[in-house]
Amino acid sequence: MSSQNILRAFVGLYILAFFSYLFGPLILMSLTAFNSFSFPRVSPWECFTTEWFVKLSHDEKLMHGLLNSLIIGAGVMALAVPIGMAGAIMLTQVRRSIRPIYYTIVISPILVPGVVLGISTLIFWDRLGTMFNASYNSVFYDGLFLTIIGQATFISAYCMLVFIARLQRFDPAQEEAALDLGATHAQTFRKILLPFMRPAIFSAAVLAFLASFENYNTTVFTIISESTLTTVLASKVRYGIDPSISALAVIIVSLTLIGAIAYEFAKQREAKEARARQIEGLGLPASPPTRAKLAEAIGNPAMILSFFVAVAGLTFVYLMATVDTAACKQDLREQKRIEQQRRQDMQLFPLQMPSGKAPSKPAEPTAPQAPAGETGNKQYQGIFEPGNLKKQVGPEGEAAPAKPTPGKQYEGIFDPGNLKNQVGPEGGTNQN
Amino acid sequence: MNPVTGLRRFVDRNGLAISAYLLVAVTLWMLAMIILPQLFMLDFSFRYNLPPAKIGGPEDVWTISNYAFLVFGSSGNPDAYNWIDLSVFFRTILAAVFVTVFDVALCYPIAFYLAQVAKGGFGRLMVLCLIIPFWVNEILRAFAFRILFGATGVINTVGMSLGLLDQPIDFVGADIALYAGLGYAYILLMIFPIYNAIESLDHNQIEAARDLGAPWWRIHYRVVIPHAKPGIASGCTMVFMLSAGALAAPQILGGPSSLWFTQIIYQWFNTGGNWPRGSAYAMILLIACIAFVMLMMRVFKVGLGEIGR
Repeated sequence: MSSQNILRAFVGLYILAFFSYLFGPLILMSLTAFNSFSFPRVSPWECFTTEWFVKLSHDEKLMHGLLNSLIIGAGVMALAVPIGMAGAIMLTQVRRSIRPIYYTIVISPILVPGVVLGISTLIFWDRLGTMFNASYNSVFYDGLFLTIIGQATFISAYCMLVFIARLQRFDPAQEEAALDLGATHAQTFRKILLPFMRPAIFSAAVLAFLASFENYNTTVFTIISESTLTTVLASKVRYGIDPSISALAVIIVSLTLIGAIAYEFAKQREAKEARARQIEGLGLPASPPTRAKLAEAIGNPAMILSFFVAVAGLTFVYLMATVDTAACKQDLREQKRIEQQRRQDMQLFPLQMPSGKAPSKPAEPTAPQAPAGETGNKQYQGIFEPGNLKKQVGPEGEAAPAKPTPGKQYEGIFDPGNLKNQVGPEGGTNQN
Repeated sequence: MNPVTGLRRFVDRNGLAISAYLLVAVTLWMLAMIILPQLFMLDFSFRYNLPPAKIGGPEDVWTISNYAFLVFGSSGNPDAYNWIDLSVFFRTILAAVFVTVFDVALCYPIAFYLAQVAKGGFGRLMVLCLIIPFWVNEILRAFAFRILFGATGVINTVGMSLGLLDQPIDFVGADIALYAGLGYAYILLMIFPIYNAIESLDHNQIEAARDLGAPWWRIHYRVVIPHAKPGIASGCTMVFMLSAGALAAPQILGGPSSLWFTQIIYQWFNTGGNWPRGSAYAMILLIACIAFVMLMMRVFKVGLGEIGR
């Protein structure tokens, strides 16, 4: 029995490790959205802040991309769902001998890399445009149109799979009965097949929108000079990161969580109704005893997830109410200023100034207390104005690595080399 | 049965309006979106890189120079072969195989647990938890791994502050971040096919093997894995294709010295400005993916219908 227990413990550990791999990165990324540090990091933790969300909402490029993504998502939905349904119905009707070829062709977009789909769409429409001598602002070179077409190529296949799964449970006798009773073909389609397909249409539409919304590989080729949320995000992540991207991630993760919970609740209610109908049919007592209800609620996945969401939400509200970000930042700034001062003085007067003692004289003129109304950032830059530094440090200051703007200088002082290491040879430094 | 009577029977069966809808939708999809674009790309990859004015002119003839470039490089190349691009290509394929193997090893136990062991609420919770990370944007997932593995990332700062590390480990340069991120991105596409396959296995078969004295590893080797073959093949195909064709993760997590093959294609289309050569490279990627699908079908002895599921 003990070896059984060891095995069980091992399995438990494995599942734990697996889900930490799954959720650890997302949780850490979400945390960085609330750290006031200007680079997405968990440590050092500076101050709890929501400023990155504000910054995110003012990001016009991102908002433009988001709008395009929504338009494209709607377009793909409108194109891929009917095509997918037609593809699935067609599969049930093509002759047995050509069915494998047909299936191979329509399933192939799923097995072809997205990059290839994007390129082939781009080239196809470009050549068509050349053939028709179309101008460059015609539909052949329109990024949004091409992206809708390119994405719909493979998303239609996803939708088709959803419809095939549903069609397998369809009883064709229903259709025949309707036709025998004098319904026209159009009526049969509208009154029998469509209602049967409705759940599948709904899930195919959701799937199509989500798949379109998060697509990058195909989009990056077909979008040409336009932009979508993912392409804007990708260029932001590559060429300069700030935590407003984490803020966006927090929003997306929360939306996903809420969607998952809502879906699970809806499914449970359906199951419960089905069970209630069954119980009614058997003439059994309708409501289970309270204890059973409680046990059901505790073991309920949607409940568990909602619990975690509620805890996270409450923590957030509590922090919003209690933490004074401005004051915290002010403290931090003060600490850094003192620390900086100490270092500079050690460089300036290595003999006279034994370590640890802060001098009073040179500190005063360079670091005036900020007026109350001034915003944090400006005040900060004022303190570390290059001019000030040079005056103080003299030749040593100039020998230090070149710091073109006050904003970048800030990073350089406290974290030498940090940014360059991170961003690598792609060359972009932080764009605040 | 000739096509005309076939068409007539099709129209009889569906009515005129519905037939038109089905035919137009499927024809548009198959011709204008799947077959013709691929053929145009194939044709384009055999062309010279000409300015728009000269396209269709006397210079617009077929050539294999774009494919030759991948193998031999430009004419001024001192080496016999174009080692830069070739090594990127082979490294991409190898790395994608590695990511696939990693995902199979990682996901098989979880899929088995979900399908045969987990019961009721906990199983459903696990499924729900698997789906959530999958709907987070691909780029944000890569970004999360950058926060984790960067030079000032969580692992390095925590490791250094605990005294475990003397200096930051260059996870990005060593491509560890990339492999972890790619493996992460496609977990779901590996788990669900395997899960579907194992779920259809009658639990009594496992019980029977156990009663007959088979140790757990032999039960998996002789009973579960043979039954899960189509699922494993399907998962492997999807994961291989997606990692070999990934663009965002290598752009974000790739080390400075290592390129992914898709990045070279992207460069030909963007900064390189040589679309025919980019198409040729894309064709090579496509052929590699098709070859892998064929290999999987051969190794696991399954049909395409089972893989596409």
